[in-house]
Amino acid sequence: MDERTEIMLDNIGMTYKTNDGRDVTALTSVTLDIRKGEFISLLGPSGCGKTTLLRIIADLLTPTQGNISVGGETPRQARLKQRYGIVFQSAVLYDWRTVRKNVMLPLEIMHVPKEERIDRADKMLELVGLSDFANHFPGQLSGGMQQRVGIARALAIRPEILLMDEPFSALDEFTREKLHDDLLRIWRKTNKTVVFVTHNISEAVYLSDRVCVLSPHPGRLSAVVDIDLPRPRTAQLKSTPEFTALVAKVRSSFEGV
Amino acid sequence: MKTKRILSLVSSFVLPLAFGTMIYILWQTEILHRIIGADTVTLPLPSRIGEIIGANSQSIAEHTKITLKVAVGGLLAGSILGYLIAVVAAVFRKWGAGGLALVSAFNAIPIVALAPVVNNWTRDMSGEVDIRSTAAKIIVVTIFCTASMSVNAYRGLTELKPFSEDLMKSYAAPKIVVFAKLRLPNSLPYVFTALRVSVPSSVIGALVAEYFAEDTVGVGRQIRENIVKGQYPTAWAYIAVACLIGIAMFVLLTIVERIVLKNRRRT
Amino acid sequence: MKIKKFFSSQKFIVFVWVLGIAVIWEIFAFIVAATKRTPVNVLPHLWQIIEAFFSDKKVSGKMTMAELIGTACQETLLRAAIGFAIGTVLGYLLALLMNLSRIVEKIAFPYLMLIQMIPILGMAPIILSITGDINTSRIVIAAILTFYPVSANTLAGFKAVEQEKCELMYSYASSRFQLYTKTLIPSCIPYFFTGLKISAPMAITASILVDTLQGGNGLGCMLSQSLKGGMTRLVFWDIVLISAIIGILSYQVMGLIEKLICPYKRTKKAD
Repeated sequence: MDERTEIMLDNIGMTYKTNDGRDVTALTSVTLDIRKGEFISLLGPSGCGKTTLLRIIADLLTPTQGNISVGGETPRQARLKQRYGIVFQSAVLYDWRTVRKNVMLPLEIMHVPKEERIDRADKMLELVGLSDFANHFPGQLSGGMQQRVGIARALAIRPEILLMDEPFSALDEFTREKLHDDLLRIWRKTNKTVVFVTHNISEAVYLSDRVCVLSPHPGRLSAVVDIDLPRPRTAQLKSTPEFTALVAKVRSSFEGV
Repeated sequence: MKTKRILSLVSSFVLPLAFGTMIYILWQTEILHRIIGADTVTLPLPSRIGEIIGANSQSIAEHTKITLKVAVGGLLAGSILGYLIAVVAAVFRKWGAGGLALVSAFNAIPIVALAPVVNNWTRDMSGEVDIRSTAAKIIVVTIFCTASMSVNAYRGLTELKPFSEDLMKSYAAPKIVVFAKLRLPNSLPYVFTALRVSVPSSVIGALVAEYFAEDTVGVGRQIRENIVKGQYPTAWAYIAVACLIGIAMFVLLTIVERIVLKNRRRT
Repeated sequence: MKIKKFFSSQKFIVFVWVLGIAVIWEIFAFIVAATKRTPVNVLPHLWQIIEAFFSDKKVSGKMTMAELIGTACQETLLRAAIGFAIGTVLGYLLALLMNLSRIVEKIAFPYLMLIQMIPILGMAPIILSITGDINTSRIVIAAILTFYPVSANTLAGFKAVEQEKCELMYSYASSRFQLYTKTLIPSCIPYFFTGLKISAPMAITASILVDTLQGGNGLGCMLSQSLKGGMTRLVFWDIVLISAIIGILSYQVMGLIEKLICPYKRTKKAD
């Protein structure tokens, strides 16, 4: 295995039975190498298996076919070593904890000593730009801010891999665009491997190094498009012809939609 | 995979059944008595209770009918009254919400306070004990069942899915049409939520009301009378019947609910 | 503006309703006084009831009305509170066990449903004879009546935790103990309190009911004694009023405790 490969997916398939006994193939023959430090998107419409694929990587699901290794280990071992940070579509914050204590949650579970917990949490909150809200409760924050807390919490355990499942799809476009730039800034600073699930083509093209296009029925990898746009990416990039061409290229890679 | 599901379903039945059988055996063999420190007089063996039920089936049926009349009568009256209150509260929204807060406070009033009061009110209603007492008992059960229905029905009439009121507005639908076509059907699941509480309450209410009533009929009263007379197996026979009434009415409710709410989407 | 806001606030509306009920009561009391032989038995005036409570007249033996009700309250409510506490603890533990073990859940679930359907309050007389002691039976019945709402609601609280919260804990490789103490148990607090709010008035009712079945010094005993003519009828009415107030108060007290423990605002799902 290439030294630079962080996650290796080999012929991954996922089939399960519905309540009336039928077979449903959520994913079939997905082979993909995700490199260390790269920002890769899993893009596709509903039913293409992108969330299933993310969950397989996260050890929330076990594939029915194929092999997967994360940094040379099984997903389970990687999870037990806390090598992932996950961000879900909704922030999933605890109403009864302050923002800071929410970020500290995984650190408490890992028995990180108290001073270090507080220190790390504050550093993460500074990274996402929410230091002023450390003592607020989630109920007092907007949707975008809550999602930023979710990102801070995922980063608090210093994982090598950040898994994001449509984290911005519940937010309005203005908030989303701001969070795109925040995310890229954070990624540049921390050098994580990011696996980003989305159904928004321009979001995938703007953020990623590579876009994996998944098509539905059955869920499969149709294409992997290299995004060779210069970094750091800025909003003006979106009106350049290169950007538009890449969006068109990605769009045409979908099959059966 | 399928065997796993079958096993899961079967164990849902077998396990509680096994547990229940174990309790029955403990009871019949008197081990239960030793555990909780009772004697076979106040806690007769199930076999003895079964005997008594068989021997007295005629009078048991009589008393059951009386209690059922009170319970069902009060349940119907209370549910209808509760629903009407909810409708009025929904129409006069501001005053209704506050009034309902008070109605739910009624729920907290101990029924033991209610029953004697109502008894006194109906004292001069009629010359016959029978009619007076039955009326009193039904009134008590009615009051007992009203609160739950009115609070839940109010929610059903007013908590509509977003935009459904706006849709009706866009059709320029008059208020009464909105009520009949939107609010009423929307409130049905909530009505059943209320009934799940008020059906057992109606049975309890009927039994407790019987304790305080003038006449000595009804399953609840019989429990008390037989204990006072020291005839424990008979008292337990009536207790068993009371439990059966509660269970039967609840099962009936579940069946009716399944039929009425057949094709609704589970929110 | 401020005055207008006050008049349309929730509190004012409730106040008007209470006033309205008091007025209706008084109207009926006047009707009753004019038509019945012994109006006190049917519906006395509110001021009569309140006056009797504060008066110095000796109602029974050496005690005034207030003293009588005071001591009766103590006896009945103390046992109700103990039963309530026991029922709460047991109900909570059962919900916890049911959530931890599928086997326990499968065994307990039908019986839990049964308890809901059975008229337990109707079994008060038999529990009294089994235990033989009025104090024990007050506690036992209050405990049984508290048990079901607390365990059913707490279990619903456990089950209502969003899937994603549990998945997050899973992704941190947390232990089961951590999952419970950090996520499940704090999440179910509002549901737990719903159970408490339902069962507090019921526990009090149960305790009073047991009183009525046997002589003694509890609230219910005084109630039946007054009914049978052992004391002035106003004792009966005062007890009715007081127990109604206590029932309502117990509900409010639970709500207050909940506000103290959970001061934060709960975010609504729709964003």
